[in-house]
Amino acid sequence: MHKKRGKKGEILVENIIFIVLNVLFLAILIIFLLNQGNGTLLLEDSYSKEIALLIDSAKPGMIMTINLEKAKEVLDKNGISFDEGILIKDHYVTVKLGENSGKSYHFFNDIEINPYLEKNGEGDFTGFYTLTFEKKT
Amino acid sequence: MTKKISRKTKMNKKGDKLLSVYWFLILVIVATGIVLMVNVFYGNPYDVREIESALLANKVADCIYYGGEVNPEIFSVQGVFKESFRDGFMEDCSLNFDVQGDFVQVPYYIEVDFFSGINSKKSEFNITEGNNNLKPDCKIEVADSSKLAKCTDKSFFMRTKNGGVYFVKLLTIISKTNENTN
Repeated sequence: MHKKRGKKGEILVENIIFIVLNVLFLAILIIFLLNQGNGTLLLEDSYSKEIALLIDSAKPGMIMTINLEKAKEVLDKNGISFDEGILIKDHYVTVKLGENSGKSYHFFNDIEINPYLEKNGEGDFTGFYTLTFEKKT
Repeated sequence: MTKKISRKTKMNKKGDKLLSVYWFLILVIVATGIVLMVNVFYGNPYDVREIESALLANKVADCIYYGGEVNPEIFSVQGVFKESFRDGFMEDCSLNFDVQGDFVQVPYYIEVDFFSGINSKKSEFNITEGNNNLKPDCKIEVADSSKLAKCTDKSFFMRTKNGGVYFVKLLTIISKTNENTN
């Protein structure tokens, strides 16, 4: 009688371990996939190109607001200020979300760009990046 | 009878263990497959050269003919093409191809031809800017063209103030292979 109870217990424990390991495996896989999609290198590459293309398509008088909240999240995680993460200089858009990373992309549109980083009431960056375009004088 | 049952349960247990080992083997194979696929997908940088090339073509087209009006810098009062437009093309069209770095080739090329008619073979006025070494890339036909520069052809008619009609052909090329391919 006692032996039978012991066997049932063993089966239950084995099954629980099996299920826990399966769940753990799936969780690791999902975390890996999510991290890949929000990876620093991937975001740097896509943001630098997207901003460069937006600048290329801009005309004087235009105002563009870009949502860079994802980039801000990564910058906050890495302890870098939002205003240091994105730089537009000498016809290059540079996005640097990590200490040892960064991507630059050249744009051909020779236009005056005035970037502005939006702040909330408390003076913190919201993650929105506004670009105002004017004709170069 | 009881011996037979105990043998069966022992075999079932072995079978269960064997099944769980295979189950984990399948999981490992699936995980490896997913990791490889994700790496292939995210490992390649975004290739934006085709869009960029189209944007450049649009910008040049707008610079020449915008809102039904020809850029006043192109023709003289007598209706002749101005050489000064060719000379100051980059500035007039707000373009900058200066890339940083030593021995770095310009990754852009622009060619504009003005024809007096659609059947005309000889262009009346021609403007070229950038790196003309990229031009042969447009004619090469290979299965994997990712390492070649991306080209955009565009053409439109243009009516001048004097009533003349020109057929304008544009070719823009972007290389930037290092930034857009592995």
